Amino acid sequence: MSASDTHRTVLGHARDTQPSEPPVRLNVEQASYAYHARGNAAPVFTLSATSFVARQREIVSILGPNASGKSTLVALIAGALKPLSGRVELEGFETSRLDPRTRAQRIAVVHQESPLLFPTRAGEYVLQGRHPHGKSLRFATEEDIVIADNALAQVGAKHLRDRWMHEISGGEKQRIILARALAQQPILLLLDEPTLHLDIGAQVELLERLQQLAHENRYTVIVVTHELSLAAEFADQVVLLHKGKCLRVGTPAEVFNRELLEQVFEAPLDIAIGPEGRPRVHIRGVRYSARR
Amino acid sequence: MKPLTFRRLAWICGSLLVVLFAAIVLALKLGAVPISMTDLVVNLARVAVGQSAQLPTEYRLIIFDLRLPRIVLGMLVGGALSVSGAGFQALLRNPLADPYVLGVSSGAALGAIIALIAAPQIPLVTPAAAFLGATATIAAVYFLGRREGQLDSTTLLLAGIISASFLSALIIFLMTTLAGRELRGMAFWLMGDLSTPLPPSLRWIFGVGLIIGVGAIYTTAADLNLIATGEREAMHLGVDVTRVKLVVYISASLLTGLAVAVSGAIGYVGLLVPHVMRLLFGSDYRVLIPTSVIGGAIAIVVADTLARTVVAPTELPVGAMTALAGAPVFIYLLRRRLP
Amino acid sequence: MLIAITKRHGHLAAFYSFLAAAALFCAGAAQAGGADQQAAREQHTETPAAASVVVTDDVGRQVEVPQPVRRIVSLAPSVTETIFALGAQDRLVGDTDYCDYPAEAKLKPKVGGAINPNLEQVVALRPDLVVVTKSLNRRETVDALDRLHVPTYATDARTVEEMIESIGRLATVIDAADQGKAQVTSLQTRLDELHRKLEGVTPARVLFVVWTEPLISVGTETFLADALRLAGADSVIHSQQDWPHVSLEEVVRLQPDYLIFANSDTDHALEDFAALRQQPGWRDLKAVQENRLAIISDAINRPAPRLVDAIEQLARQLHSDIFAPQPGPASRTLKLQAVAAR
Repeated sequence: MSASDTHRTVLGHARDTQPSEPPVRLNVEQASYAYHARGNAAPVFTLSATSFVARQREIVSILGPNASGKSTLVALIAGALKPLSGRVELEGFETSRLDPRTRAQRIAVVHQESPLLFPTRAGEYVLQGRHPHGKSLRFATEEDIVIADNALAQVGAKHLRDRWMHEISGGEKQRIILARALAQQPILLLLDEPTLHLDIGAQVELLERLQQLAHENRYTVIVVTHELSLAAEFADQVVLLHKGKCLRVGTPAEVFNRELLEQVFEAPLDIAIGPEGRPRVHIRGVRYSARR
Repeated sequence: MKPLTFRRLAWICGSLLVVLFAAIVLALKLGAVPISMTDLVVNLARVAVGQSAQLPTEYRLIIFDLRLPRIVLGMLVGGALSVSGAGFQALLRNPLADPYVLGVSSGAALGAIIALIAAPQIPLVTPAAAFLGATATIAAVYFLGRREGQLDSTTLLLAGIISASFLSALIIFLMTTLAGRELRGMAFWLMGDLSTPLPPSLRWIFGVGLIIGVGAIYTTAADLNLIATGEREAMHLGVDVTRVKLVVYISASLLTGLAVAVSGAIGYVGLLVPHVMRLLFGSDYRVLIPTSVIGGAIAIVVADTLARTVVAPTELPVGAMTALAGAPVFIYLLRRRLP
Repeated sequence: MLIAITKRHGHLAAFYSFLAAAALFCAGAAQAGGADQQAAREQHTETPAAASVVVTDDVGRQVEVPQPVRRIVSLAPSVTETIFALGAQDRLVGDTDYCDYPAEAKLKPKVGGAINPNLEQVVALRPDLVVVTKSLNRRETVDALDRLHVPTYATDARTVEEMIESIGRLATVIDAADQGKAQVTSLQTRLDELHRKLEGVTPARVLFVVWTEPLISVGTETFLADALRLAGADSVIHSQQDWPHVSLEEVVRLQPDYLIFANSDTDHALEDFAALRQQPGWRDLKAVQENRLAIISDAINRPAPRLVDAIEQLARQLHSDIFAPQPGPASRTLKLQAVAAR
């Protein structure tokens, strides 16, 4: 529990409203994974022992450059992969041991959109989120419809319900995909690089919405991203990954150390602390100047 | 947008069944031998009240021993091919997939040719051998189409196409050794032909096989809707993707094998009927599967009626008719630009 | 309550009702078919007192032929010709699209092709007997006719000898026994005469050309090969297949003495040949260079009485020295010389 103790000490003043800690929801303990190479070659570790803890209403950002093991960690958390060592527990249950349906009732994963095979309406798409909660051969119940509508409302996309998925913009599609995840009524929301194709306005909007949802619906939200500024601004906790290794876990202020970030992201950076205690990241000058 | 309900599904299927019924009545009426509508209705009524002995012999023979079994066979084949096509389109993640893309029909044709060469005297050996050929191909393509232990859409497609080509080459080689009469029979078979009446026992087997196959695919209908939005997404929504893909693969292939074994490779039906049904009723597989069965039945009954009557008394093979009609429909669908 | 159940188990309900509908439908269809097959059988046996005879056809099937045979449908051109030759054409009520000899055969009601006859038409003609051949018609057609309780008699002939016997048997089955005997005797006599004349004559080495592109000839097991033998010819192609594809190189190596074409239209055949002799491969054949070709009527393809005419015609062309000159072949020889001169 030492990580959370540190957590509390440093940010004690920020968490003044909570008399006690919200319960731990997700416990990742020394989880690692390797894709087995062919033959007798040693396995290639895509993720080495990683540990962190996430609670209700918390936004955790898994931060790192490309190929740092972020997607593997997401798959481990979602239970799609079984950790080679260590464990991943959601409210006491190992995620990889749960059957897919039970998992889907608790964990909602939002990936970047895949191309849709056949024309689908947004409302139908969101209704699919209710699939884990019903028997396999059934039509949508009234309860399902209400939940789906609520999900759409929560992402501010109620007006898109009757539109075709292939006819709406990227940002709107992202909202629909999120709505489907919400319709699952999960306790853990996993988003894999949700801001990739969005402009800055849409990015901020998404993260603000996630914050709101985390608070109102008591989700635990885990966002995989490589966007330093967004992570700094919105995450309660940051897990910094680099080449499959977990380098640091903590609040943005704790994790955003200049030497550390420069090494991980291989870019000249400046860190400043903003008014609310959150770090601000700037790019420091360019290395090569045309003039010299 | 109203979510799908049982009532809506029943309504859709009901209307389609009405259309099917109309098609059947027309198919019974039309043919090389003219039968007037009143005669037909009177005869049908006589049968319904159990007075079949009073029918004039030719009418009874033509309507009930020739046309009706052919219509029933056509419906079974059309339904099987359409559902199989719909299933493959989801499994292979490709709207252009049809029941034959994985080589099942080539395997069946090879079985049929070998039967023709080896034992042409024994009746019913051709459909049995064709079905055996189909199942062997299904197994082979399954093992070729796996990646890391489970069916992968792209690998499966490639394995199927290569198998189809290889088997076709074998078929052509064998066809050069066939005697003339069998060769012509084979040509008809390859084109898709319903003119050979099937013994009732085989029809029953087919009917049962159809129900089992369609039923099995239908249990995965909701899962298929999810898989259509992405396999990874479906997995995270609780779908056992591996199991669903296996069920769809086996059921769709068996349906195709059954259909091809009895009637040859009738083209375009498995490809186009699902798309037309999607256009009319949406892509939800819980609707698509039943509508494809009925739609396929309607399509084949209509095509076969045309094949029997357009240049009567000569009969065109029904596969020629579906190809003739299928191409314009396909072009129309393309122009509407399915995404 | 039913509605409540269906709401909760919507899918299952849909599936089962679909199953039930399908089952009902299949049952109904089967009932209709079965009931009427049974009725058909009853009807069939009810046909009063009509005697019928059980005969064995050329392929060994037992056929119950109603007596007398008043209405016959032929499903092969050779059968049609035979029936005309037996004088039974008045009782022929239907034949195939390809039955073109004699000319009256073209006027008969048509039932479609030999490979895929229109069963409805056949049934509508209410035949007492349908006659097919093993070589041309399909097994499936015969099976289908059996299931419809239409008596079907199959002829088969692998040799010319068998063909003559087959004609005799068919004649007996269709109550034309006397004409049958007459035909058999006449054909046999002519063949014996031919055999006598060709005694001791070396058979000509021939290539029977069925098709030129690709080159197709005849196999040794066909009755056509047998006909060639009876005409004093020996096919240079020895193959077990009925219609073997032959490579032109092989033919050039074998250098047959004669090329045989079967085409009733002699002028057309000569024109085709004129075009052929320019082509590579063909022009290397001595038979082409020396204009040694025989054109015979395509009756050689049909196991019918006219086959013997064609055999005689071929024998005369191949061994013209033995036979008395006749107007027909002589004029053909003149035409050949005209072709060579071009």
